[in-house]
Amino acid sequence: AVAVKMAALGGGGTRWRRAWLPALQLLRRGSKAVTRHWKAMHFQRQKLLAVTEYLPPRPAVPPRCLPRHAAEGHEEDAQARVLRRQVEETLRSSRMVAVCQYNSMPDEDLVTLRHYLRKHGIRVQFVLNEVVRPVLAQSKYRNLLPLFVCRNILLVSPEARAREMLRVLKGVPQVNLLGACIDDTILSRQGVENLAQLPPLEVSQGQTVAALALLSSQTSSLLQRGPAHLTALLDEHIRRLRDAEGPTEPPPG
Amino acid sequence: PAGPGGVAVPRAGLKKLALPPDYSGITFPEKPKLKFMDKVPAVPKVRREPRRLRDIRGPSHVATDFTQGQYGILALGGGYLHWGHFEMIRLTIGRSIDPKSMFAVWRVPAPYKSVTRKSLGHRMGGGKGPVDHYVTAVKSGRLVVEVGGRCEFEEVRPFLARVAQKLPFPAIPVSRESLREMRREEEEKRLGNQNPWTFERVVASNMLGMRKYLSPYDLRLKGRYWGKFFLKHRV
Repeated sequence: AVAVKMAALGGGGTRWRRAWLPALQLLRRGSKAVTRHWKAMHFQRQKLLAVTEYLPPRPAVPPRCLPRHAAEGHEEDAQARVLRRQVEETLRSSRMVAVCQYNSMPDEDLVTLRHYLRKHGIRVQFVLNEVVRPVLAQSKYRNLLPLFVCRNILLVSPEARAREMLRVLKGVPQVNLLGACIDDTILSRQGVENLAQLPPLEVSQGQTVAALALLSSQTSSLLQRGPAHLTALLDEHIRRLRDAEGPTEPPPG
Repeated sequence: PAGPGGVAVPRAGLKKLALPPDYSGITFPEKPKLKFMDKVPAVPKVRREPRRLRDIRGPSHVATDFTQGQYGILALGGGYLHWGHFEMIRLTIGRSIDPKSMFAVWRVPAPYKSVTRKSLGHRMGGGKGPVDHYVTAVKSGRLVVEVGGRCEFEEVRPFLARVAQKLPFPAIPVSRESLREMRREEEEKRLGNQNPWTFERVVASNMLGMRKYLSPYDLRLKGRYWGKFFLKHRV
């Protein structure tokens, strides 16, 4: 562009109306466009760069004041899915689910505990809180959620054997019973102890049947109470009369 | 950390097993190491060429994207690479990569531009000096070398950073993802600029007669380049 202007300078009287005439010396003065050092900018250029600087967008509400969804939708671990399915299966198939706190035990003691519990048909399962909590939250065992805080184990069995379980757990100080869900009833530790002291099912069934039958058995005796009373009175009367007229003949009729 | 009821909640959860990285789509070139670059081209130039510094100025339009490798060195300024730089790059990278599992590829040509020097201690005048050495011109935004193979960016970054520091222009090690990220951020910055006055707009419409103080090249360079320097913080 400067070369063109310089050429135009040489030509006749043609001059650009708006243009300024650069002095020829301007090209000789100073360094070239590309230098090794940082070439000093014209002040006007500096001002222009200062005016046209980048301004970042400033929303009315700063993003740090808005609620942040921490770790939304991180992909599910396959292993977590498998474990979750196992826990669901366990919960579905067992009648009794007892949650115990587990403090670290020696391995051989753990094996012995498992052996004793297996003899009564109770299975020991270690569960991870981060796997169990979502499962429980969606199932009907929502109220068991506060129990799954520390390291815990589940004692599951298809039939409710509270007494044997308590007996075994009494001998193991490292495992503490926190609560249980037996036959869809949530019981605390006290509740499980009470359940253990109950008589077995057949005995209680017999007792219930006897209690029910007692009332019906009493009905017949209740109905017969009036005539029985009358019969007793008449017998008494006859006996007294017989005693009174012992030698004399009994009256006819 | 305390949980509900003041009980300490252990934080170790399930171990997340990450899959090993997939290196299936990588093709190795015949020679994994960097080729030796000559000091002087095979046909040395007889005619001494002018010092066309415009091959340093402005953004590069060649070798701006990855071809074979996954990681590389991106130039963030213009400059000349001479044989010493080439040897330094070749030897450092050759020392640091494992030729069985990694490879490196040049993205700049061998020195082709002749640079003249006058002998020391003479006054001005007497014609142009003889050819002293040859250089390669590199503009900003150009990849210098590419490295690839069965490796991660974290393994490659240390020695690429050391090489990048020794180059005559500012340079950084990049990977495909980091370059894409850089370009995306630049674009985002350009679109999200709240300043209604941009250099481009002022120059294009010659507001306030600014073109008197600016070069005609500023129409193309848009205030992001000044001489051989690349102004990263601009727009």
